[in-house]
Amino acid sequence: MKKLILSVSILSIALAGMSQSKEFTSAMGEGLTQFAKCQTVDQYQALGNKFSIIADAEKTEWLPYYYHADCYILMSFMEQADAAKKDAYLDVAEKSVNKMIELVPGESEVYVLQGMMYSARIMVDPMQRGQEYSALSMQAIGKALGLDSNNPRAKFMKLRNEMGMAQFYGKDPKEFCPQASELLASWDHYQVKSPLHPAWGKNQVEAIVAGCK
Amino acid sequence: MKYLLLFLALNLIALNTYSQTTLSGTVRQQDGNSLSGVNIFILGTYDGGTSDTSGFFRFTTQKTGKCVLTATYLGYEPVVKELDLSGEPVILALEIKEKSTALTEVAITAGTVSVGDKKQANILTSRDMITTAGAVGDVYGALQTLPGTTTNGESGKLFVKGGDSDESKTFIDGSLVYAPYTTSAPNMSVRGRFNPVLFKGTIFSTGGYSAEYGQALSSVLLLNTNDLPAEEKIDLSLMSIGLGIGGTKLWKSGSITVDASYNNMEPYMRIVPQNYQWVRYPRYTECAFSIRQKTGKSGLLKLYGSYGNSKYTVGQEDPDEEMKTRTYALGNGNIFLNASWINQLGENWTLTSSASFTNNQDIIGYDSISFNKLLRGAHIKNVAVHRFSERIDLRLGAELFSKACSQEYIVSSDTVTQGFTNHSVSGFAEAEFRITAKFVTRLGTRLEYSDYLNRANLVPRVSAAYLVTQASQISLSYGWFCQDPSDDYLLYTNTLDYERADHYTLNYQIKQNRRTFRAEVYYKKYKGLAKLNGDDFYLPDSYSNTGFGYAKGLDLFWRDNKTIRNGDYWLSYSYIVTKRNYRNYPVEAIPGFVSRHNFAAVYKHWIGGLRSYLSVNFKYSSPRVYNNPNSEVFNGERTLPYRSVDVSWSFLYRQNVVIYAAVTNVFGFKQGYGYTYSASRDSEGQYRSIPIVPGADRFFLLACFVTLSRKGEANQIDQIQ
Repeated sequence: MKKLILSVSILSIALAGMSQSKEFTSAMGEGLTQFAKCQTVDQYQALGNKFSIIADAEKTEWLPYYYHADCYILMSFMEQADAAKKDAYLDVAEKSVNKMIELVPGESEVYVLQGMMYSARIMVDPMQRGQEYSALSMQAIGKALGLDSNNPRAKFMKLRNEMGMAQFYGKDPKEFCPQASELLASWDHYQVKSPLHPAWGKNQVEAIVAGCK
Repeated sequence: MKYLLLFLALNLIALNTYSQTTLSGTVRQQDGNSLSGVNIFILGTYDGGTSDTSGFFRFTTQKTGKCVLTATYLGYEPVVKELDLSGEPVILALEIKEKSTALTEVAITAGTVSVGDKKQANILTSRDMITTAGAVGDVYGALQTLPGTTTNGESGKLFVKGGDSDESKTFIDGSLVYAPYTTSAPNMSVRGRFNPVLFKGTIFSTGGYSAEYGQALSSVLLLNTNDLPAEEKIDLSLMSIGLGIGGTKLWKSGSITVDASYNNMEPYMRIVPQNYQWVRYPRYTECAFSIRQKTGKSGLLKLYGSYGNSKYTVGQEDPDEEMKTRTYALGNGNIFLNASWINQLGENWTLTSSASFTNNQDIIGYDSISFNKLLRGAHIKNVAVHRFSERIDLRLGAELFSKACSQEYIVSSDTVTQGFTNHSVSGFAEAEFRITAKFVTRLGTRLEYSDYLNRANLVPRVSAAYLVTQASQISLSYGWFCQDPSDDYLLYTNTLDYERADHYTLNYQIKQNRRTFRAEVYYKKYKGLAKLNGDDFYLPDSYSNTGFGYAKGLDLFWRDNKTIRNGDYWLSYSYIVTKRNYRNYPVEAIPGFVSRHNFAAVYKHWIGGLRSYLSVNFKYSSPRVYNNPNSEVFNGERTLPYRSVDVSWSFLYRQNVVIYAAVTNVFGFKQGYGYTYSASRDSEGQYRSIPIVPGADRFFLLACFVTLSRKGEANQIDQIQ
């Protein structure tokens, strides 16, 4: 009897645990569906809130922090006039990025996002910040590639930075076209660990390749 | 057994409870307006919602029983509410308060300009200091395009709001720099010893500053060095006047940077006409190191050390003997060490310890006379900041200053030695109250005691700021500021008391859309300035604290990096009325370092097609006064106005190669800073005079900076392009 009770008890605990991870998956999945539909700062804000709640409840999962930071980076890109606001959004994103670095210091995707955040910092004031933050961005992307040399998002960010740089120095960015095509061709070979893991970037590379023609 | 069954039952209950509660309501701010985008959720669950434009939110949760509801929004204090959920709908009316440190933060700006923190809210950035034409990479040169300052071409030092140059002090990471400027021959301009790239942020306070800073009557310049560098690199520089090399090495939680440079003016000065006769052309050797080490979770230790050596011999005409040139030989050696350690102690305490050490030696030969000056200074400081709440901060500090000055005067075989050592202890306490999101006030006091003077002073410092609109604010400050009399006097006497200045400053500032406008009016009253009565400077009794004076003026500043695409400019204007009776002045008079009107216009433009950053500035200072001993009126003569148009051009040849060219005083405006007079009358009963002119009419600099870096860690991206 004792044993039975114990095993039922364990089972119920396991079930509860499972149901929680199911809840996590479904909440995250719902969030990601919403992500695709977001168009305005307000919508990203609301979605960011959602991810922040999940992050807060879970504490050890990095994915909610990832999308939370992502929302705020996009908000800063979308914010038009107010530079202080852009920075305030990025401050929020930076906190989540730092949290992720604490949780999963070996995860390549985290540094891709960090690189993106630094690029967003440049956009706030390109003249003043260009030099410093482009170095930081390149460094983060370098780290991402160091951790996973196949990560297509890291490759894409590197390509984007290099194309920007080439354009700046008056070189023809088209010299990167073969690299872009190659990246696009190999894009789907990369196995995303789960449907919840970051998978963005293919569209952007497609746009680059389309621009090459 | 019973317990086990109970446990099992509870487990099953927990699994199978599916009662649902609907929570809805509104979020409003204190003024009753609704707020959208607020995140409202049950702590520890996934259940939450976001408020819409009318502040309304609605969500459901399966949680029952006691739980905590939280509402958060960027720039607002989180709202926390305990709820007991039973399945019955809950309707809430939440009020959310703006954080007292909100997005637009009210800050005390009376008298203070913050330069170059990473955030937007700055008047000037460190990069501005480097790219401002005319400053040619000199921190102090760049500050002289800001209101409140007067350019003194024959000095190069900072003169702020009617204060003499030694009334402005420089602090690096909190500790005092005893010898911030290079040494030069009389009437020849000096530069700052520190490269602006060392600093991430600068606060330039032209009055009314915090009780943390003492020993400065007029202004403090607070330079904060960079934190950990981002990348390993090697920097090379090749200039028309010298070369330099530097390197940065990183490790897991720290870094070291080492620099060395050698400048020799000879080739340059042989090509470009000079106004002085150089016997030995100036040579400068410098080396520096900088170490950064993270300590614990949040601590950072910074160490900086530099050694600089300069040598030259210049011929200057002697007003006492016609057609005679006297040689002035200078050798300077300067050691500077600086350490600071910032550490978080628990939640609400931050402790900063800092120390600096200066050893500055000048060996001067003036014809057959030798003159050796040695300054040794140390400053140790501990500051503890306690955060009582979001609204109240308390800052407490204790400091120890030690200064030893000595000079040796050698004429043929006679040596006269003079010296003094002064130890000062001081303490300060200052509290900052953020009474509302719109109103902040700071109350502080500072106590100092000097063992050499055997005197103490206790001074108040008060300031406040009020946010008028989201973009504009008014601030005011009042305080007493004390400093020891000049070293030149303390060498001969210790009977003097502190000199004192009282500051009253009112400031208005509006910042919007990358445009800033500031207007400031101030009044300063000087008391107890040290005076030399009569000519017997070697007698202790010749000195007294009977000097006095005042200064009042208006400063205007406008910066706009919005209107012109890729362009950025600022305009600054200062008007000042001041008189003082100090040092050896026979009467109250306008001091010789002040121009009534000062104007600077700085324009910078990024030319994308040429990958070039062009900077042009114009500076004007109205005529200053100088004393002509042949005239009855003290300080009755006027110099030429100071005018200069300076241009600099930076060209990014590659990402890591910058070519830089600069010319000062492009149009060759004639500059004269008064006259030096002979000590005695000539046969016609007149004092002979020699004009004081700049070292050259123009200065040209051509430089190339190369950075070699390896970005990232253990990855193979070819970074060196």
